[in-house]
Amino acid sequence: MMDPVTLAVVRGALEQITDEMDLRLIRAAVSPIISETNDCAHGLYDPVTGETIAQGGYGLPQFLANMQWTVQRVIAVAAAHGGGQGGFHEGDLWMLNDPYLSGTHLNDVVLVSPVFIDGRLFALFANTGHWMDLGGSVPGGWAPSATEIHQEGMIIPPLKLYDRGVYNASLVQLIKANVRLPAQVEGDLAAMTNVFGAGRRGLLALVAKYGEATLAGCIAEMMDRSEAQMRSLITDIPDGTYRVEDWFDNDGVDDVPLRVVLTLTVAGSDMHFDFTGTAPAARGPMNISDSTTKSMCLVALKHVFPEVPVNGGAFRPTRFTIPTRTILAAEYPSPVGGTTDVTQRVVDVVFAALAQAIPLLVPAAPFGTTGVATVSGRKADGGFYVAVYPYPGGYGASHGSDGLVNGTPPGSMAKFMSVEMSEHRYPLRFDYYRIREGSGGAGRHRGGCGTAYSITALAPCVVSVLGDRVDHQPPGIEGGGPAAPNEVRFVTGGQVWTPPFRSKAEKVALAAGDSVRLASPGGGGYGNPLLRPVQAVEDDLNAGLIDRHEAEAAYGVVVAATIPAGDRSHVTLDSAATAQRRAATLTI
Amino acid sequence: MAGVAGIDVGGTFTDLFYSRDGVTVDRVLKVPSTPDDPARGLMDALATAGLAPADVGLILHGTTIATNAVIERRGARCALITTAGFRDVLELGRRDRPRMYGLTGTHAPLIPRALRWELDERMDHHGTVLRALDDDAVRQLAHTLRGQDVEAVVVSFLHAYANPAHEERVRAVLLEAHNGWEVVISSAVVREYYEFERTSTAAVQGYLQPLVARYAANLQRMLADAGHTAPTLVMQSNGGLVPLALLGGRAANIVRSGPAAGVMAAARIAQEAGFDNVITGDMGGTSYDVAVVLEGQPRVADTTDLDFRIPLRLPMLDVHTIGAGGGSIAGLDRGGILQVGPRSAGAVPGPVCFGRGGTEPAVTDANAVLSRINAQNPIGLTHVQELDVAGARAAMATLGQRIGLGVEQTAEAILTVVNQRMAGRTRLLSVEQGHDPRDFVLVAFGGAGPLHGAAIMREVGIRTMLIPPHPGVLCALGCAIADLRYDSSQTIEQPTEALDPAFATKTLAAQTAEGQARLREGGVAVTEVVVTHVAEMSYAGQIHTLRVPIEAGWTPARMAQAFGDVYRQEYGNILPGIPAMVVSLKTSVRGVRPGAGQRTAGPVTPHPATAARHRPVYFGGWTNTPIYDRATLLPGATFSGPAIVEQADTTSVIEPGMAARVDAFGNILVTLEEGA
Repeated sequence: MMDPVTLAVVRGALEQITDEMDLRLIRAAVSPIISETNDCAHGLYDPVTGETIAQGGYGLPQFLANMQWTVQRVIAVAAAHGGGQGGFHEGDLWMLNDPYLSGTHLNDVVLVSPVFIDGRLFALFANTGHWMDLGGSVPGGWAPSATEIHQEGMIIPPLKLYDRGVYNASLVQLIKANVRLPAQVEGDLAAMTNVFGAGRRGLLALVAKYGEATLAGCIAEMMDRSEAQMRSLITDIPDGTYRVEDWFDNDGVDDVPLRVVLTLTVAGSDMHFDFTGTAPAARGPMNISDSTTKSMCLVALKHVFPEVPVNGGAFRPTRFTIPTRTILAAEYPSPVGGTTDVTQRVVDVVFAALAQAIPLLVPAAPFGTTGVATVSGRKADGGFYVAVYPYPGGYGASHGSDGLVNGTPPGSMAKFMSVEMSEHRYPLRFDYYRIREGSGGAGRHRGGCGTAYSITALAPCVVSVLGDRVDHQPPGIEGGGPAAPNEVRFVTGGQVWTPPFRSKAEKVALAAGDSVRLASPGGGGYGNPLLRPVQAVEDDLNAGLIDRHEAEAAYGVVVAATIPAGDRSHVTLDSAATAQRRAATLTI
Repeated sequence: MAGVAGIDVGGTFTDLFYSRDGVTVDRVLKVPSTPDDPARGLMDALATAGLAPADVGLILHGTTIATNAVIERRGARCALITTAGFRDVLELGRRDRPRMYGLTGTHAPLIPRALRWELDERMDHHGTVLRALDDDAVRQLAHTLRGQDVEAVVVSFLHAYANPAHEERVRAVLLEAHNGWEVVISSAVVREYYEFERTSTAAVQGYLQPLVARYAANLQRMLADAGHTAPTLVMQSNGGLVPLALLGGRAANIVRSGPAAGVMAAARIAQEAGFDNVITGDMGGTSYDVAVVLEGQPRVADTTDLDFRIPLRLPMLDVHTIGAGGGSIAGLDRGGILQVGPRSAGAVPGPVCFGRGGTEPAVTDANAVLSRINAQNPIGLTHVQELDVAGARAAMATLGQRIGLGVEQTAEAILTVVNQRMAGRTRLLSVEQGHDPRDFVLVAFGGAGPLHGAAIMREVGIRTMLIPPHPGVLCALGCAIADLRYDSSQTIEQPTEALDPAFATKTLAAQTAEGQARLREGGVAVTEVVVTHVAEMSYAGQIHTLRVPIEAGWTPARMAQAFGDVYRQEYGNILPGIPAMVVSLKTSVRGVRPGAGQRTAGPVTPHPATAARHRPVYFGGWTNTPIYDRATLLPGATFSGPAIVEQADTTSVIEPGMAARVDAFGNILVTLEEGA
């Protein structure tokens, strides 16, 4: 067994290396999506198994385990390539964005860099960063009516950007010729490449300090310990099979609902995620690759057990069955631009399955749709702009508390733009940005409300929206109610209308004075609403988070008095009468 | 001249630093804080120090009252008035969650929704009125608010930084309706865009103003009752002082006043000793605060989160905190790997060796077991004469058994792990800001900083550590050496080339006049007024800005050039072809106090230090180690590790392989020995 102090210190040192790589890229990247919203990840991987040794803590959750499966596929490609050690040479740098291999979407470009010690392959570093544009039919890449990946941008299969230290300038020229922001893309590529130098220096310093054998021993033991830690958590989940079914409204191309089925089996310290029964690959962009599906299952687990370490050992107790050619195991040429929404549903079904087993630890469903609204047009000076407004929404309530308002999606940490900043930058005016009243699921703990915002065009522009959760609301758990569904409205020429696919619409033309109104879902409720403390219902009423009808119908309260206060009214509830009314309902 | 008393009121202790001539240290002490009425702890400190009114010419004060009121939600009942459609800006924030992992928990905004109201009005980003304000509607709302029993009313309209006319009008009408309200308008607190951050800052000001004003009045009265008539100045989070009488109006500016004072003092002491680039490491009972000082100037953050979704958009010294302190608890994770903190034993029960019922081994227990701290002379404890080392050893043995380590090995392992966490945060901070930490000097302070500084220095690869003369009360010292300071800012958000130079000059002149007026209003004597200007600039499209020092009267071309220089320094390149933007213009007006803590170098006679005694201390094995008494270490004294230095406010550890010398100012400078 490895000396416990060295083990603890080496684990900390390895995590430090990948943390520092995250921060270096976040600082050096040109893409605002990397520098402002940390849409990137860095990790260190076993060169043979591809297992994660350490991953930085500043990148986005959605890359949690995704990187491991990507690296494993690059290992296979390199091996097939032959030569070197497992196909890797000193000075090689692999590059890809093929989402069927590397998950998520084309915008996430992955680099893989082998590290050699004394001529022997010791480990692989890898990183991923979100590039603003990779060509395709819609700037930014979210094309709600895409039917094949080529409409979403260019595919980079696993290729060597550097071959034994020699830079492939032609490859970069080819990429630059196919994207809308070539200077930015080149800057981001340089920044991502440079970060490996820092990672390598950190790792070599550790080798110098402990020796290769001790370091390798620590890494192996670290993985075993993380596996033990994960198994110990799983053991606390009652054995059983937990089945969940949920839906997507449609894929933006065919108006038919798409089913997601998860059968989660917990047996001892093992977990099996089986997605058999899930809808076949969609024609539209509501597809993700299997590596992203697996990653999001682990993201959901980590939201329930935040102490789970991020390394390959912790992933060992989980097994997956994801039938090929389904929306959760996309293959060429299925479009994958809906990844921002599909990933959310994976989290939803994992929460819902776990809620059957360990309801005290799991929140009800969050808002469940990223509903990206992209507005593009020309500014007064003639310059082209693309503004991206991804949905905030309510989180589900839990055993301990009500749900949060205006949360960011579970796989992301990205923020919403400041209204004042947006108005400085784009010819768009916000009419409101507010809590969507009455949208949180009812419950002993109430789901967080969704967010409503309306944007009016000051000059002609086009708007694309890619969302979901209109026909199938975020459900509550333990007797809690569902949240309000998603709502998208356009106002053109004075007419208010709903797009045919409800929350998916591509390139809707707005004239000056037209607007788009968005209202995101809240989170599901937790527990029977009749058990919600009367004071909490009264506070919600007076805050306008629920209305009198919901208070009486869902929460079973009796109003004692209503006193006008300005344009509102202050309500007092009758506790005794409420208790009586609730008792009558509860005993039926 | 009568002396200067610096008093820092912290959560656990109130520290006092007294100097008769404003330079030499005459008294240093710690008394327990009195959280129910922090002013009492301050008075206790003055009394315990035996300072008569005649001894004190100036009182300088750091306080946690504002921070605690926000964290514990003990501020005033406020109403918020916003532009119609934007009632919830304060609660919504900008789409986030408290932690990266975990979706449970919720958030209590400082002003609840039932007390948030809207008025029909709207400006655009140029400050042009799109919808006029209706005075009658304001009067009607004032009438409604009178029924809501509020102490303060906060007004925050969209784009008010560009044109505050509507906010100012609402304030006037509200005060006509009811002059008992404290009315805070966002444009007067921070004249910058980002509606959530500005509204939050105004809300913090409104939430704290009544409480802080009461505290200031109460303290003023208690001082007067005790016969103290000396001017009293309070430390702000930007590192400058504000007179007690003006404190209410600056309530949002005094959060984290203590840590800011510590960084100011550390920066000043290091600069005197000849070090301009410094990392300050302040370790106390529950946390480790780290900050970067570049060319003598502590780094300033534009926005600081006081709590989840409570940002404060005011310039504050950029101090980062992790949960690693003397009380941090050691344990095993589910995989059996040793972890230390962030869970803390707190003040009660505290570490096992405090003998107050603690059972889980903490960092202080490890230091006690290894005899790095003197068990016979516990610092800051009044309830025991001696630490319970036997208890700490037993707790260590229990933990050690589970990982196959002996008592001392376990204690050493705990130190190794906690030191690595602090070293890691120290490195990350400098990496985040684009520096190589090895180019910095570490100033270690706080009650536990000098115990761990040597290890942090070694881990990070820092070459020199400076331990100031009174590391345990450095925040109190920081109050004593600070200047008065007022900052103002205004959002511009224009391409540099489109900026009208006359407008820029006018804006800077107005900011300067505002700061100077505040200085005069405070009535505190200053020897010099130093005015500095900064432009926050970025390339078009970037959200992170850089602080570019500028001078009034500069042409746009000169500003663009200065921005290029700063950008290259930060990132190593510039982005030609992308226009530079001036995001905001800022002015800092500093009133320099006469002779504030300017020490002179004493004579240095190199000589080997004499140990007061020896005791066995564990450094990878029990080693008979020299113990030095800090009071006897004169300039020029040299010694080498392993060594322990004891003084009333802290204990310092010099590791084997390190050399120490005392400089002309009484600082201990620790370096790695040649070849070590």
